[in-house]
Amino acid sequence: MKFRTLFLKELREMLSSQTILMMIVSVVILSFAGQAMSNAVEDNAETMMDINICDLDDTEFTHNMIKCLTANINALDGEVNTVDITSDNYAEELKKANVKSVVIIPEGFTESVEKSEAATVKFVQRLNSLATLSNMNAGSQVAVDYLSSAVKEVVYSTKVANGKLTSSEVSFLNEPLKLEESTVVADKSEDISASIVMSLCSAQGMIVPIMMFVLVMMSSNMILNAVSTEKIDKTLETLLSAPISRLSVIAAKMLSAAVVAAMQAAVYMIGAKNMMNGVLDNVSGESGYSEALNNLGLTMDASQYVLVGLQMFLSILIALSVSLILGVLARDAKSAQTLTLPIMMCTMIPYMLSMFVDIKTMSPAVRYIVYAIPFTHSFMASENAMFGNTGVYVGGLIYQVIFLAVCMFLALRIFMSDRIFTMSIGGRRAKTGGEASQ
Amino acid sequence: MENEKVLEVKGLSKQYKKGVYASEKVTFDVHRGEIFALIGPNGAGKTTTIRMISTLLQATEGDAVVSGHSILTEPEKVRKSITYLPDEAGAYKNMKGIDYLKFMAELYADNKSQAEEYVKTGREICELGDRLNDKIASYSRGMQRKLLLARAIMSKPDLAILDEPTSGLDIINALEIRRMIKQLAAEGMSFLLSSHNMLEIEYVSDRVGIIAKGHLLETGTPAELIEKYKADNLEDVFELVVMKKDIK
Repeated sequence: MKFRTLFLKELREMLSSQTILMMIVSVVILSFAGQAMSNAVEDNAETMMDINICDLDDTEFTHNMIKCLTANINALDGEVNTVDITSDNYAEELKKANVKSVVIIPEGFTESVEKSEAATVKFVQRLNSLATLSNMNAGSQVAVDYLSSAVKEVVYSTKVANGKLTSSEVSFLNEPLKLEESTVVADKSEDISASIVMSLCSAQGMIVPIMMFVLVMMSSNMILNAVSTEKIDKTLETLLSAPISRLSVIAAKMLSAAVVAAMQAAVYMIGAKNMMNGVLDNVSGESGYSEALNNLGLTMDASQYVLVGLQMFLSILIALSVSLILGVLARDAKSAQTLTLPIMMCTMIPYMLSMFVDIKTMSPAVRYIVYAIPFTHSFMASENAMFGNTGVYVGGLIYQVIFLAVCMFLALRIFMSDRIFTMSIGGRRAKTGGEASQ
Repeated sequence: MENEKVLEVKGLSKQYKKGVYASEKVTFDVHRGEIFALIGPNGAGKTTTIRMISTLLQATEGDAVVSGHSILTEPEKVRKSITYLPDEAGAYKNMKGIDYLKFMAELYADNKSQAEEYVKTGREICELGDRLNDKIASYSRGMQRKLLLARAIMSKPDLAILDEPTSGLDIINALEIRRMIKQLAAEGMSFLLSSHNMLEIEYVSDRVGIIAKGHLLETGTPAELIEKYKADNLEDVFELVVMKKDIK
């Protein structure tokens, strides 16, 4: 009985309205992110099994092979599209053909097959994003597998018709194709597999969003606590009645938080750079991966780190100014804790989306909702810098500056007026010391 | 000199929405060296009036002039002439007591030597000795209140506004504070107090203003009010004025 009473009291305190609200918000965020990701996967799934092929050999054998390939792919609800590739400038050729990847059957393919030598097939893929779900397609290995079986089918049908297979033909049929891969990023291409590029970049792709999330949450908590504690502990009244302007009070708070945030951003960026160097030093070695990534522009140079750092800093300033407003709303420690929810929500959505999907390719309605969250642009900053998405970067930067100006204006208006004492969470007026009289 | 007005409150009102006043047309003066107490029930408008005079809230009507400076047009100059100690005010818990005094002294002082002088005075007033080197988080409520009072008085402002100055203090400390207020007033500092403790008000105040539902209903010395209402003490006067008057 006594235990039950104690248990119920503890449960009531822990399962507060704030806790329930947090749970509901988490479900909403995860559902929204899940829906957005599901749409992205659905869009990709429609074309995932499609194979674009360019037959530069143009022989009866390759025609038969493509027919076999088409039959196999069609059986899997995919399509085989023929495209023209006329030069080695793959970036330009993919753009011209409006495809993300292509399997190139080079000249001399049939000759190699006839000599029972492994024939070379080239797989070229464009990477538009480092997000996990953004580059879902049949991929090089699947294309090679299906081409191999097509080669085997054609070889079997011709050789079996002509008599027995020789031992060299049998060993050739075990591995009839040799794969060469190229990856295109923006207007650059390198002879490296897209899957290797994705693997090497995944650390970089993940570390920046994680840093962003941590920094935004830390800095917003910092200023929110600074303001709400002053209000809750009633030190704010003492401070604001001192012979200093309110502008000085707000500026000192913002500036100190910004200095700490800038230091954190700089330290994290240096850490990220060192971490990436460490990753690349270990994996590249003699393989030349590091050079390939450099040539593709997927390793950020100093100026790109500055650009990413700038958007990160802007996000932190926005988080600070919004937290300044939210801090004013706090009535007690619990409500101050709840007030971090909007910031957390607005940080988690782009954080999760940017890790899994290419936000630029989402449906317009969802994309603009996500773009309206100012932190999104910082989560996309490193990718925009590496993939040369200058328009998206600059647009995001301008939007963040405008958003920051609006937030700062509102924060100043609140701080300079009575609202700093009368506003509180839920729109209810805080204790003013005087009961209204009619 | 004693007739010099340090504070002139002229029809001061605070309206939160149309027709709803927290404080309405409040008018009174505080002279140099005078201790003026605002008394009233909870929610009467005392703190709103005090906050307007302290420039924390903006008056919707009327004005208050502190040492010749209007709260409407020269709030920063007003803040230079006053100190305000809110009811249940706190201090920065992670600071040491001495650092808090230094921090506040630097906000009020014009130069370093003046700040040092304020800190020296604050040290003497709060009588916390070596405990000033400890973090405020380790202070008892009474110690914290003494530190805050010292902070409010150390710069010797023209007008010290103290909301419930002795709340949280034991009888001995409260007596000390009351004596100190009277002594400082004798030296020329003016006080605007707010308190629920009628005995304290009767003992310490030169004049009293009784406020209820945003209206200042009576002003006068405790003796004058006791005489006027033929009461035994200020508590009875308070009851007669607040409970019996029909306030529109």
